[in-house]
Amino acid sequence: MFTIINKQIIAAGFKRIDVKAELIARKAKPGHFVMVMADEKSARVALSIVEADSQKGTISFVFEETSPSTQQLGNLQIGGSIYAILGPLGVTISLDEVRKGHVVACVGYGIGIAQVLPFCRELRKSESKVIGIAGVKTRKALLLESQMRLTCDKLCITTDDGTYEKKGYVTGSLREMLQQYKIKLVICFAPPIVMQAVCAVTKEYRIKTFVGLNPLMVDGTGLCGSCRVKVSRKDALACVDGPVFNGHEVDFEDLEIRTKHCQTEESWYDQTFQASPLSGESITLKRWLGGLLKNRP
Amino acid sequence: MAGGLTKKQAIDEAIRCPQCAEPACNQGCPVGIDIPAFIRLLREGNPSDALEKIREANHLTAICGRMCSAPCETACILNEENAPISIRALERYAWDQGHKRGDGQGAKGKGQGLTGKVAVVGSGPSGLTAAVELSQLGIKVTVFESLHLAGGVLRYGIPAFRLPPKVFDSELEYVQSLGIEIKTNTAIGQSYSLKELFEMEYSVILLALGAGVPQFSQISGENLSGVYFAEEFLMRVNLMKANQYPAYGTSLCVGKQIAVIGGGMAALDCARIAVRLGKEAFVIHEGTEEDMRVRKEEREYAKEEGVKLEILSKVLEILPDEKKSVKAVKCMRMDFADPDSTGQWKIMAAAGSEFILEADTVIMAQGHGSNTNLVKSTEELRLNKNGTIWTHKNSFMTSIPGVFVGGDCETGPGPVVRAMGKGKEVAREINNYLKRHILSPSLTLPTRGRES
Repeated sequence: MFTIINKQIIAAGFKRIDVKAELIARKAKPGHFVMVMADEKSARVALSIVEADSQKGTISFVFEETSPSTQQLGNLQIGGSIYAILGPLGVTISLDEVRKGHVVACVGYGIGIAQVLPFCRELRKSESKVIGIAGVKTRKALLLESQMRLTCDKLCITTDDGTYEKKGYVTGSLREMLQQYKIKLVICFAPPIVMQAVCAVTKEYRIKTFVGLNPLMVDGTGLCGSCRVKVSRKDALACVDGPVFNGHEVDFEDLEIRTKHCQTEESWYDQTFQASPLSGESITLKRWLGGLLKNRP
Repeated sequence: MAGGLTKKQAIDEAIRCPQCAEPACNQGCPVGIDIPAFIRLLREGNPSDALEKIREANHLTAICGRMCSAPCETACILNEENAPISIRALERYAWDQGHKRGDGQGAKGKGQGLTGKVAVVGSGPSGLTAAVELSQLGIKVTVFESLHLAGGVLRYGIPAFRLPPKVFDSELEYVQSLGIEIKTNTAIGQSYSLKELFEMEYSVILLALGAGVPQFSQISGENLSGVYFAEEFLMRVNLMKANQYPAYGTSLCVGKQIAVIGGGMAALDCARIAVRLGKEAFVIHEGTEEDMRVRKEEREYAKEEGVKLEILSKVLEILPDEKKSVKAVKCMRMDFADPDSTGQWKIMAAAGSEFILEADTVIMAQGHGSNTNLVKSTEELRLNKNGTIWTHKNSFMTSIPGVFVGGDCETGPGPVVRAMGKGKEVAREINNYLKRHILSPSLTLPTRGRES
C-alpha cells in the first residue's frame, strides 16, 4: 500500500498527490511514468512523475479529473492509501548533448506543463538556459505557474481565451523564441494536435524535438499493445519504447485515430460516473475552493 | 464452462482406466504426474489421497485440472479403441473434492536447506511451479510480479470461465502457505535492476517472464480505431474486469460484430468472451478446423456457445469507414491445392474468391512474443533473434552467470503445462547450481553481475 502524504488542488480540475513510494522515488528520472490504481476496482492510469524525492521516498503526480478512475484517485484523502503503483516505467531520453550555456525550450500545454517540469529541473542542473512555454485554455486551468517561474530562465504563458498574459497558442510563442534565441533542443508535452503543430514549427527551423506521448495504456509494461504508435514508420510501444520520442519521427495522425477512439469509449456505455459524497471529499471544501479559484483576480 | 464430474461419473471413469504396466500417459505429462496411481486412488473413492499423489509432482493441481492442454489424454492408449480417459477432468475432481484450506502448512520444504535465496521474476505458470519446487527443496524464494495481482498469464490471459478467479486465488493461497513470498507491483528491470537483485542477497535470479506480447502483423488497417490485440482485449476483461463496467473502472469499447483473427487458444477465448458480452463473434482462421492449435474439446465448447468459425479464410485487409474505425474485414477463401512432395495437401488462396465480412471490432490473435520488454535494457542479457532469451546449450543459464530462464520466454509461446514442466526442470538446475556454488553458509558468495 502507498500512503498519501499530501493532496492539493492546483488548478481548476487538476490535483496533485504526493505519495510514499521509496522504490520508485529512488529511480525516477524525468520522462518516467507510473501506473496508478486508486483502488482494486479502478482502471490503471498512466501518470507522469512530476517530482521525486529519494530522501523522503515520495513521488508526486498531477492529474486531471476527467475519467471515473482519476476522479476516484482525486477522492482519496491525505493519510489514505493508493492500491497499486507500478513504476518507474518508460525509458528516459539522453540530455547529454545539452551543455552549459545551451538554450532549451520546454513547451507544455495543459497537463503537459506538469509533465515538462521535471525536464526543466533536470536541464537547470546542467546549467543550460531553459525557456518555458506554458499554454492553457483559460487562466483557471493554469497549473504549476510558480514552479515553472522558479525553474525556467524565461517563461511565456499563453491562454487560448486571453484571460492571462498573452492570448494565443504555444506555437506562436515558440516561433518568437526561435527567432530570438539560438535554441538547441525543444521538449514538448501536449495533446497530439498541439505536438504536431509544434513539430511542424521546429521542423522549419531544423531543431531536434522530443515529444512525450500520452496514448491509452492498460498495463504499462508492453503486454497489451494498446499504446502502439508509429515512429519512423515502425510500430513502437509508448510504454516500453517511450513515452518520449523524437517528434519528427512520430506519425501524429495515426496516434490521433486511436486517441479519438478512447474518447468515444468513455461515452459508449452512456453511464456517467458519480462519486458518492460519503466516500469522497468534503463537498463544502470543494465548493469553497471552487469559489476561490473562480474569484482569483 | 463445463461442470465438474459427479462422484459416480468420476469413479466410473477411473474404473475405465486399464492401469497399464508401462503407462503412455505418464510419458506425455510434462510435469511428470503419476497418472495411473492417482486414478487408482480415485477408484477407491479417495480424492484427498489422489490429490496428495498429484501434488508430489505438481502443486498447481486446480489450474492443470481445468486448463491443461492434456497431452496425457492424447498419449492414452485407449485412443486406439474408444475415447481416452478424461484425465484432466479426474484431476479436477481430485482437487475439487480433495482440497482443504491450509493444506500447504504440512508440506513445507523437506530439503537440505541451501542458503542461497532465489528471486523468481514473474508469477505465471513456470514461475510459480519453479518457486514451489525450490521451496520444496528448502530454498527460500521470492516471486516478483509487475502487475497488481499475481498469476501472470493465468490472471490476465485466461478467462474466468476456464479458470475461475476464486479457484486460482485459493491455489495462490496454497502456494503462499508453502512459504513463498509474492511481491506485486515490482517491475524487475525498472524498479530493481538484475544487478541490484544480486546485491540484495539473492544468489540466483530466475526469469520466468512468459510470452504474451502482441506481435504486429503485416495486415493493413491494424492501427484503425476498433482494432484490439487479443492481449489487450483479454487483459481488459480478465484482469481489469471491463465486463463489469462501471462497477470496475476499465471500460471496453466493442461493437456488435466482432471478428477475431487467429487460430489459437487466445482467439477462441476472445470469441467466447465476446459471445458472453452479448456480441456476435466469428473466428477467422486460415487453415481447416483441425489445424487450429486448440483441443477439440475447447472447439466444441466454443461452437456450442455460438462462436462462428470462418475457416479457410485469409484476411487481406481491414477496411476503414470515414471516421477511421473498422467497417469490415476483407478476406480470401483458401482451398486445397495439389499435394506437395511430402504428400501433404497444401492450402492455397483461391484466386478471385475475395469476400467481405462486416465487422465493427477486430481482435488480432495471431501469436505472441516473449515478454522481454522490461529486461531488455539489461545489456548483458543476450536475446535470440526471435526475441526469446538466449541460453547456454543444454542448460537454462543465460549469458549472465546466476541468471536462469524458464518457461515461455525461453521456448516461445506454448501450452501452460509445458511452461510448468520447464519450471520444474529449471528448479532442478538451480538446485544443482546452488549446490555447486554455495557449499556452506559461511562461504561468501562470488560476486557476479557483469560478465567479463
